[in-house]
Order: sequence, then C-alpha cells, then structure tokens
Amino acid sequence: MPQFESDFFSSLIFWEVLSFAILLFVLYKYAFPGILSVLEEREKKIKDSLDQAEHHRSEAERKLKEYEAKLNSAAKEAEGILAAAKERAQRLMEENEQRLTAEAERIKGDATREIDQERRKAIQDIRAQTTELALMVGEKVVQRSLTEADHRKFADEALEALSKSYQR
Amino acid sequence: MEESPLHQFELQTWIPISLGGLDISINKAVVFMWVVVFLAAVLMVVAGSARKLIPGKLQSLAEMMVDFIRSMIMDTMGKDGMRFFPLIATLFLFILFSNLIGLIPGSYTVTSQVIVTAVFSCLVYGLSLVIGFWLHGIKFLGILIPPGTPGWLVPLMIPIELISQLARPISLAVRLFANMTAGHVMLAVLFGLTIGGGLLIGWLPFAFTVAIYGLEFGIAFIQAYIFSILTCVYLGDAFHLHGHDEHAH
Repeated sequence: MPQFESDFFSSLIFWEVLSFAILLFVLYKYAFPGILSVLEEREKKIKDSLDQAEHHRSEAERKLKEYEAKLNSAAKEAEGILAAAKERAQRLMEENEQRLTAEAERIKGDATREIDQERRKAIQDIRAQTTELALMVGEKVVQRSLTEADHRKFADEALEALSKSYQR
Repeated sequence: MEESPLHQFELQTWIPISLGGLDISINKAVVFMWVVVFLAAVLMVVAGSARKLIPGKLQSLAEMMVDFIRSMIMDTMGKDGMRFFPLIATLFLFILFSNLIGLIPGSYTVTSQVIVTAVFSCLVYGLSLVIGFWLHGIKFLGILIPPGTPGWLVPLMIPIELISQLARPISLAVRLFANMTAGHVMLAVLFGLTIGGGLLIGWLPFAFTVAIYGLEFGIAFIQAYIFSILTCVYLGDAFHLHGHDEHAH
C-alpha cells in the first residue's frame, strides 16, 4: 500500500502539523469567538422571548379571569336589577289596581247615596203635594158641602190619580 | 489495462524542499492540506463575521457545525470541556473538509494517509495523557482499574485496560484512514469496471459507483463525527477520571 511507504512521512507530518496549527490559530482568533457569541446571544434572545411570552400568557390568563369574574358579577347585577324592576312594576300595578278599585267603589257608593237622597227627597215632595192636594180637595168639599160618600169618592180619586202619576 | 485502484494514493514529490536535513517536500497531499485549511478558514471566518441574529445560508451552515460540536462536547465532557472547543472543532473541520474535498474527482484525500490520521490520534491521545497526569498526578494510573473492580481481579484488569488504552490511538488512526482508503478503493474498482465493461454492461458498475459515491459522502461526515466524539470521550475520561458516568468505548 502506498500509504505505508515512509518516504513522505516527514513532509506530511511537518505540513500537517503546520497547517493544523495555522487553521487552529485562524479559527480560534477570527471565527469561533464570533460564531459562539452569536449562538449564545441567540440562545439568550430566544430564552428571553420565551420567558416574555410565558409572562404575557399568564398575564393574559389573569386578565381573562378578571374579566370573566367582572362579566359574571355584571350579569348577576343585571339580573338583580331586572328582578327588582319587575317586582316594582308588579307592585305598582297592584297598587294601581287597588287604588282604582277603591275609587270606583267610592264613586259607586257616592252615586248610590245621591240616588237614595234624591229618592227620599222625591217621596217627601210627593207627600207634601199629596197633603196639598188633600187640603185642596178638602176645601172644595167644604165649599160644596158634600156627603160622606162624596168625600170618600174624591179622596179615592185623588189618591188614585196621585199613585198613577207617581208610578209613571 | 487500467491502473491499480491503489494508484490514487501514491504521492510524487513536486517541489523538493529540505529543512535542516528534514525532508519537507511539497506533494499532492500537502497541497490539498493547504486547500483544506484555506477553505475551512475562509468559510468559518466569513460566516463568523456575519454575526446576524437571523443568519444567512453561510452563517447558518457555520453555526450549525459549531453548535453541533459544542453540543457534542457538552454531552460528553460537560461545561468544562468547552476549553477544548477550539481544538476539537478545528479537528472536526480539518477532517470533514479533507474527507469532502477528497471526494472531488482528481483531488487527494488527505485523511487517506495513515500518517496523517496517526498524527491526529497521537495528538489527541497524547493530550489526554498530559491532561490526566496534569490534573490527577500519579492517581491517573487508576484509569487502568475500572471503578468497582474486586481486588482479586486487579492483576487481570490492569493488562486488559492497558491494552484497551493502547488500542485507543491506533484504532482512532486506523478507523479514519481505513474508511477513507476503502471507500476510494471501492470507487476506483467500480469505476475501473465501468470503463472495462464498456457500454453494454458498464452501466451496472457505474450505477454502483454513483450509489457508493453517495454513501461515501455520508461516511465523510460520519468519520469526522466519530473522530471528534472519540476525542471528546478520551479527553473527558482524562478530565474526570472515573467521573460521573462511564463512557462507552
């Protein structure tokens, strides 16, 4: 095998060591620090971004819970308000009804009383007129000196006429 | 009629240079080492200078590789291992670019030279020994006795672990070299058959050539990965010495 011929060993070893040393030096000096620092920087940046994202997420979650709680309480409050309003409306309605019923009752009572009064007054009027008529009849009878039968007849006629006019 | 499938690994001296008696002549493999170094350096430096938060394609590619190696080190060695990042990353990139550039027809696969992979594996293993003795002193020899070994087994375990330790640099070097060599030999053989087979039958080995070429592409990545992760494991062993967890060998 040509690789085991030692003629070239010395030059290969020499140049290999030299070129490896040069490469090591160049990379050590000019390549690795830059690349490694970029990698570390990027790692840090990614880590920071992830941390920040996590932070934002938890913050958002917290806010969401807060809003949900607020929403819940608002809904409850609205429900309460609605119920109160309903109750109030019901109460007002009942009150109104009661008031109107009472009013109607009162008006009815007044009217009945008035009618009653009127009737009584009318009856009194009638009585008065009847008496007057009786007096008138009496006068006529006295002037013409009528018999007992005539008296009775006139009185009956007068009463009948009166009751007729009253019935009408 | 066709050339040997091993011919592609042969080297010729292009420019003979001698440094105090040491032969450091330029040949094809050396030139491709330069190409590897040049391309890897340009890609990484250009991509690394972008430094945008939202990366472009090139920056993404470079960052992907860097991040890949970084997580590999973190997984095997922990945060302490990051001090070896430049070494391991450079090793990974050198091997990856060698493997990939070697797949371009007419180029040369630097990592198919056993001496090249041996130098890397000796570097890695030597470094692991240095770190081990540096951090733990003579107690580092305890790596030869796995934790929980009963006393009477110790005389048996020491030679076994010694062999396993010595096998590390050899297997590390041979694995990469053999994979690269075998892949290219296979491609050469299949393509030789394509040429030899002519139009009538040649399409069959050609289809295999294409398929194997695709496979080799994956192997280029996998071998670079294996070499770097084993580097992490060996260095991690030396670093932690029976540390938190046992690594699979």
